[in-house]
Amino acid sequence: MTTKDLIESAGLTPLTRFEPRDVDGAIVSDMLSDVMASAKSGNLWITVQTHKNVVPAANLVDVSAIVITSGKKVPQDTLDLANQHGIAILWTPLSSFELVGKLYVLGLVAK
Amino acid sequence: MTNIQFGFTVFEKCSHCQTVRTYFSTQDTWDEYREGPCLWTIVENAQTFKFDLQCTSCNHVESFADLLGLLYCTGCLPDCQVEMMRKEYATKKTWILVAFGFLPEAKSQPIPERKLRMLTDHFNQRRDTSRSTIKIVWFDQIKNLSLCRGEFIHDVGMLSLETPEERKPLF
Repeated sequence: MTTKDLIESAGLTPLTRFEPRDVDGAIVSDMLSDVMASAKSGNLWITVQTHKNVVPAANLVDVSAIVITSGKKVPQDTLDLANQHGIAILWTPLSSFELVGKLYVLGLVAK
Repeated sequence: MTNIQFGFTVFEKCSHCQTVRTYFSTQDTWDEYREGPCLWTIVENAQTFKFDLQCTSCNHVESFADLLGLLYCTGCLPDCQVEMMRKEYATKKTWILVAFGFLPEAKSQPIPERKLRMLTDHFNQRRDTSRSTIKIVWFDQIKNLSLCRGEFIHDVGMLSLETPEERKPLF
């Protein structure tokens, strides 16, 4: 499953420019420290955190995309930094819980 | 990554001598306190974690207890060595991150280059390096610490629903 597949099948809205890549499982966390300690390359990072620090954290652990849930507005400086480095930020009005359920049904699993 | 411990990075400043020092705490502390002529006030308290690295071949554990955190360059000082490296390495799709040790000890006892390479390798080995890579450098490359507006990758403002404001220089 790729980020492109997920955008179409889960109805996610891309907010930045990026190259599609494979998605390998997901991590749900609103703490950068938790993500830096636990995320694996290719994970989808599901969070309500929109501070621009999510971008270097996502890049450090090489997640496939950040998905901002609950319809939270993403500040422009976060989007600018992500665009600068080709980090995918996707958006959904669904809560993290609802999105995870949807992804599970769609068959997103860790390899 | 092994021996992971979650806690807080505390930045405190003395209003008497203006010294800044940092430490890792398992407690969320904001208390002001006296120590001799110094009056220490917490400048920032951010959730973070500490860890060690373990070799998967020989099981050797390398301690990173002396690592305060990683900072990313925001390009605030055009003639700063880190900013110049950031621009140079951006063309190779390499992110420069700046490693900090705990102050004031880290100024005289830097984390060895060997350990910075180990940390760099750790993050590169768990990523798809055909897309981009990481390079970690020591904070003495920063031209002027007291003017640096780089951002630490740690959790600030976690209890607020508002986006944290841009931070002032911490040092």
